[in-house]
Amino acid sequence: MTTRAEFLGRIRAEMAKTPGLFPASVTPRPAEPHAVAETIRRELAERWPEILERFRKEFERVGGVFHRAPSLADVPQVVAAISREREARRLVAWDPRELGADLGPALAARGLEPHAMPAGAVADAAERARLRRLVAEAELGLTGVDLAIAETGTLVIRSGAGRPRSTSLLPPYHVAVFDRTVLVESLSQAGVFLEAWHAGGEPADRGAIVSFITGPSRTADIELTLTRGVHGPKEVHAIFVEKTIRG
Amino acid sequence: MKDAFLQEALTIATNKFIGLRREAFDDFPEGEKLRDRAREIKEATLQHLDRYLDELIDNVERLGGTVHFAATAEEARAIVLDIAQRTGARMAVKSKSMATEEIHLNEALERAGVTPVETDLGEYIIQLAHERPSHIIAPAIHKTKAQVADLFAKELGRQVVADPEVLTKIARAELRDKFLQADLGITGANFAVADTGTVVLVTNEGNGRMVTSLPRVHVAVMGVEKVVPSMTDLMVFLAILAKSATGQKLSVYTTLVRGPRRAGELEGPDEFHLVLLDNGRIGQLAGPLREALYCLRCGACLNVCPVYRQIGGHAYGYTYPGPIGILLTAMAHGPGSVKDLAHASSLCGACVDACPVRIDIPRMLIELRREVDEQKIAPWAERVAFKALAAVMTRPRLYRWSAAVARLLQRPFARDGAIRSLPLAPGNWTRTRDLPAVAPRTFQERWKELERES
Repeated sequence: MTTRAEFLGRIRAEMAKTPGLFPASVTPRPAEPHAVAETIRRELAERWPEILERFRKEFERVGGVFHRAPSLADVPQVVAAISREREARRLVAWDPRELGADLGPALAARGLEPHAMPAGAVADAAERARLRRLVAEAELGLTGVDLAIAETGTLVIRSGAGRPRSTSLLPPYHVAVFDRTVLVESLSQAGVFLEAWHAGGEPADRGAIVSFITGPSRTADIELTLTRGVHGPKEVHAIFVEKTIRG
Repeated sequence: MKDAFLQEALTIATNKFIGLRREAFDDFPEGEKLRDRAREIKEATLQHLDRYLDELIDNVERLGGTVHFAATAEEARAIVLDIAQRTGARMAVKSKSMATEEIHLNEALERAGVTPVETDLGEYIIQLAHERPSHIIAPAIHKTKAQVADLFAKELGRQVVADPEVLTKIARAELRDKFLQADLGITGANFAVADTGTVVLVTNEGNGRMVTSLPRVHVAVMGVEKVVPSMTDLMVFLAILAKSATGQKLSVYTTLVRGPRRAGELEGPDEFHLVLLDNGRIGQLAGPLREALYCLRCGACLNVCPVYRQIGGHAYGYTYPGPIGILLTAMAHGPGSVKDLAHASSLCGACVDACPVRIDIPRMLIELRREVDEQKIAPWAERVAFKALAAVMTRPRLYRWSAAVARLLQRPFARDGAIRSLPLAPGNWTRTRDLPAVAPRTFQERWKELERES
């Protein structure tokens, strides 16, 4: 088997033979990504309605369904309407702390069968298997959002404690709740936030996955016919909450 | 080329991709500048490839992942098989990956008793059909819905309606079970970010997310050239990749994976393995095909290539079809493997215009043709024939004399302006094709006549 030293040694030996095709440099990165991210947030805070409108347009263009609610407390009503039309009942959701509130009782009162995911890892294998079955059989998955990119209509979601990867993946209907604080204009602005998330130490509560979700799962692999929901959700709903979720 | 459906399907598909790509870039004025930026990042990364790989390896290991080093396809297969065996895997779910196609991983897994399941719908279809992909991003472009329905019917043992919607639903149910059961998830990597140790997967179906989250082991196989320095650089590539491939602003899912499941996470693999693949790439860092190491595998050059559009992906005979495929084949298997393919291009340059990182494919094809010639890969007789032709063509008097001699010699074989069969060794050439006969008068002779008449 080839070792790291041999492998990199071979690369260095080949590199030594050429200066390259032309002088080239990588993209300059923000020196203080946290500060730049803060500046972006402050700047966008003043004109968020315009960014939100662009997000809505792009999100709908990729097949997403956009909703508005005055506050997080009004979200169960919107979710109930979505589920009624689709005869869906079983719902899995992020841990209430990650979502911003415990919507379980209100959802149950509207005839849904909500299941909150645990706040952390689960040591017991049988319990993990039960939770997986629960998610696999659920019709709706309710999550938060870490970034909403207007340029592409993309929801960016980080996995972690209380925010399992499968909530936005296995159920056929994904419902994501967000507010103005997560809006960014462009992919390059999203890049600043990604730099900031990774700068300086590893946040203990965040998982190994960052998912960019741009509309429902799709394929055109059979005769180029666009078909939705091949592996992931066949519908993605984004509920914009006017009153910011974390006060 | 015989297959009328293939021909029509190719035309429709490639035209559609071309249109979608054009619309995407028309809507995106900063696109041209970003393409230049992306090209420069690729070059800058190759100029310090050792440093970026070193950084990537350190970061993946710090996150609890294991990095493996494969000089050859054989070594890469052995590494994956070893992981499969050590973890007792019986079934592996795979998301679409050209790197694992390149190393012929599926056959090796099967021989070792591990069932590989391709989960990209197109790849699943061609796996059921025991074929190979015909297009980098639309692997089953050559299959009709009726053919797909037949394949599914055979696999499931029941009647299946030939409707894409129904067929997709069936595949969803079949593959969902496999995702939930499989022990091993195998992926490629569209990019890997050195600075954070992140492997990036781009899919539309969501299978990339399934494969990296549900099985207890995840193995990613990636060519060394896929590393990018930072998240800032990654965003530049994401902004142009999907636009070039399918005309989407962004593919549906871009999945950033950092090592195995973290503390506090309910799901995710216990083990994460990254296999860094050389297989001819490193040797091109200072070689004539260096620029082909920029390739993002978007498929844009296939769609615009007049040769690919005529013959389809399978005719190339190797994993990577199309103009870039010829270069990647030469990279993995040496210039001898493309001694004929190197000529399967009209050097029209449409590929350069379509390429998101402006790879000069024609330049390298010419380079390859020269290399094939210099290494004396072609048979002795062929080389002598072309040498002789060159000598004749560059000497006008000799050319005129040769034309006259050829006219005499061809008399027994030429009919209606074509030579349909030749005796002895040259007879092989005419077995499946005709040779145009030498004209009664050469152009030079006719030109002289015309001058006299006027």
